[in-house]
Amino acid sequence: MATLFLALIPATLRSTTPLLLTALGGMYSERSGVVNIALEGIILFGALAAAVTTQQLEAPILAQTPAARVVWIPWVGLLAGALGGVAIAFVHALVCLHYKADQIVSGTAINLLALSVPSLVLQYFYGNTTNSQEIVNRLPLWNGFSPLVYLAFLLVPVSWWLLFKTPWGLRLRAVGEHPQAADTVGVDILRMRYGAVMLSGLLGGLAGAYLSIGFLNQFVRNMSAGKGFISLAAMIFGKWHPLGILGSTLLFGATDALAIQLQGGDVMPPVLIQALPFVLTMLVLSGMLSRIRQARPPAALGKVYHN
Amino acid sequence: MLLLLANLIAVSLFLSCPWWVLKREFGGAGVLAGTFGVIDPQELGIPDSLAIGWIPWLSGAWVLLALCSSWALLIRERQLRARWLYSLGIGGLLLFGLGLLRFYGAIGAVNGVALAEGILPARLPLRRFSPSLACYASFAYALLLLLLGRLQLPGGKAFLVRWRQIVVPLSALGLAVAVGAVVVWILRPGLGASPDLTLFENLTTKLDLITYTFQLLFSPLTHLSGLFQSLLLATPLVFTGLAVAFGFQAGLFNIGAPGQLTMGAIATMLVGVYLSGPGWLTLPLSILAAAAGGALWGGIPGWLKARFGTHEVINTIMMNYIAASIFLFLISANQYRFFGYPVTLPFKAPGPEARSYEIRPESRLPTVLELLGLQGSGAGELSWAWPLALLAGVSFYLFWRRWPIQRRLIGSLAVGLLGYLLGGILPGWPVEVPAGLAVIRFNGAFLIALLAVAVVNFYLWRTIEGYELRAMGLSPKAAEYAGVNLGQKQILAMAVSGALAGLAATHYVLGAGIEEYRLKQSLPANVGFDGIAVALMGQNSPLGITLTALLFGVLLTGGLQLNLELGISRELVTTLQALIVLFIAAGGLLPTYFTDPLQAAQVEMDAQRALAPSGEKEEIPLGPSSGPPSTPQPQS
Repeated sequence: MATLFLALIPATLRSTTPLLLTALGGMYSERSGVVNIALEGIILFGALAAAVTTQQLEAPILAQTPAARVVWIPWVGLLAGALGGVAIAFVHALVCLHYKADQIVSGTAINLLALSVPSLVLQYFYGNTTNSQEIVNRLPLWNGFSPLVYLAFLLVPVSWWLLFKTPWGLRLRAVGEHPQAADTVGVDILRMRYGAVMLSGLLGGLAGAYLSIGFLNQFVRNMSAGKGFISLAAMIFGKWHPLGILGSTLLFGATDALAIQLQGGDVMPPVLIQALPFVLTMLVLSGMLSRIRQARPPAALGKVYHN
Repeated sequence: MLLLLANLIAVSLFLSCPWWVLKREFGGAGVLAGTFGVIDPQELGIPDSLAIGWIPWLSGAWVLLALCSSWALLIRERQLRARWLYSLGIGGLLLFGLGLLRFYGAIGAVNGVALAEGILPARLPLRRFSPSLACYASFAYALLLLLLGRLQLPGGKAFLVRWRQIVVPLSALGLAVAVGAVVVWILRPGLGASPDLTLFENLTTKLDLITYTFQLLFSPLTHLSGLFQSLLLATPLVFTGLAVAFGFQAGLFNIGAPGQLTMGAIATMLVGVYLSGPGWLTLPLSILAAAAGGALWGGIPGWLKARFGTHEVINTIMMNYIAASIFLFLISANQYRFFGYPVTLPFKAPGPEARSYEIRPESRLPTVLELLGLQGSGAGELSWAWPLALLAGVSFYLFWRRWPIQRRLIGSLAVGLLGYLLGGILPGWPVEVPAGLAVIRFNGAFLIALLAVAVVNFYLWRTIEGYELRAMGLSPKAAEYAGVNLGQKQILAMAVSGALAGLAATHYVLGAGIEEYRLKQSLPANVGFDGIAVALMGQNSPLGITLTALLFGVLLTGGLQLNLELGISRELVTTLQALIVLFIAAGGLLPTYFTDPLQAAQVEMDAQRALAPSGEKEEIPLGPSSGPPSTPQPQS
């Protein structure tokens, strides 16, 4: 039993990382007043961009020396994943902010795109619609963990500082709470919101890259498996606060790690264990597990600002 | 400005696109006839006797037309400008008709000679000929001229805004098709493209590829078995589209249709497999079980929202994953261990595949062919019972508009029954069922879908409860002050929405929409997501949903053909659907007075003021700022 729990800690850190990155991203977006349900799709597009870029870069080198390790390739892949996330987030921001669309519908549309567009891309590059070729140049491991694990946990204090100790953070929160007031004192609402949504895309894209070139070594269709939605729930449970988000994503990460650990045992059938994080999410969100009242979301969340 | 842009695009399309495809092989290679002669990259060859010398002339006439229409910009008077555009538009339509006549005439002449020589129809010199992109563009251009003419007249903008329920989805569809065209452009080289083609010819073959892609997508419309297959694929979309739209009408966003469909499938499997009894009892019970399973899975998020205020979007998504887990749990194995204790389930059928036992024969839905009294392929007699019953019932309902609604419904049912009996007595119509038609499992679930459309329409627009539901959707606070119990209504709306999604399972399980009368791992639960596109494109109206579902059914069927011939994944169609959702969310990229009802009303009022005689104008109270009608103020 003790060995099980010892094994659980690194596994928890690993499965928390994508959730933490994405949830922090979602926090920026929602603090600025834009609902970002597109996170699931952003993770997928980020994962796809990272995997395809890495594979395309290493293919000519591998053709000459098989299994060659090149240091810079995975980092370019990581960058591509982040940029892919930013690009998709930009579409979401454009539709929501410029065309004043319903933010949930727009996010849903992007999630739907993430179900089908990767198939077309994979068919173009690899001739099948479900997964990419396996890559050799994965992200390196530092002391057994991907650099993104360190980055994710480092981002928690950084986000806290950004959000509560800098003028930019004050403006961001103002835009999400009372845009009229922020507008009156000269804050460019649209610019703040575009920035925040694209920042969430950047973090979501990194989470996707972590999945496809850090955790696994290929893109598999629909590989995010609800992580974007769980992060969204973790963000709400964490009360739109970096430290709260750290706690809630650790909870979900631990559930995930436990589920993986229990796969082999005979405690519960694996197919049901896979549903555990989702059941937990619902219980947590409806306040059944915590006696604390839910925190109030940013006041202007999801509302269109007419300027 | 719009006109100038349209003219520019039109002229470039007329010059660069292929006008006609003279013949085409399987796989897409073909002989193209454009403005500057015939392009035949694969040297398929065409007979010399084919008269195509008129094509450059026709193209020239269109370019001339476009130049003439630009002249309208110089006409000052609106009436005159409108008349000029109208006449050019009508001229364009005539020119289009003339082109079609010449084309089919020329082809017919060549093929006619060959037929006279005794060549089999399958081996004619010109096969699979069709109009091509420039031809479609010219038709669209003529319509655009007519529309622009209408816009010049007073009230033109209001006319367009009044039709926004159609304009916005069409615009979104057009934009999605345009993006889809770019995707196809990137995905594949042009048909028959080779290095020795010039740049212009490469461009033309690319444009031809795009045209052919969309021709294939719409090709099921041209033959009966394609139509049958489209209706088959449209059936679950009607259900899930209705489910999502029902939620939207109540102001709730139900993204949980996949999970509700799955639970409906499980429930209907349980009843259909394990309940024995006469068919008249077990079949309705199985259908009800599908609805109940979906209602349960939709009702839970509704209850959570009403009780704890948690947003239904996240909860329905979570329920999708949970349903998928339960589904796999039931049908992927029978032996499980819980905390070390073995548990045995009875649901998985023996064999390597994850699937349940077969539905009892008496609980299966008949196929539409069986409903029409036909047994499989070959000769048979078409029974009039169901067609006549439907016709009589619906026409009774439509004609006796004066009657109170209850009497109208009962009368309609009675007349329908009479039609059924009468049709049963009438002698059948002898028909030959082709084998290709008999294998398509287009089944009675379609009738259930139509019934669901009628019931939802009736409930939402003809009952007090439906009115309250829509009131809640428009403004929950106002509805609450008017005495609507919001919590109860939310639970009800989500449960009904879930039930509608669950009914889609009747098509898959009871009607063998997945090839077998059982629950299989290949149950396409993601159809529930497609329902979002259907509901948005159908603007949440039952009629719109039905039409959109049919359109998507056609596209999905065409997607199969597309994969077969051009090797482009069917995911293209799913991408198109997602793009449609995106573009409808963005209001079709149209000005905001198309999407905002308040601004639309303002446009309407402006138009009526403009139409009123100037003498009366002074008497109309203009509100506080009695100035001239200005552009609508945004609501903040």
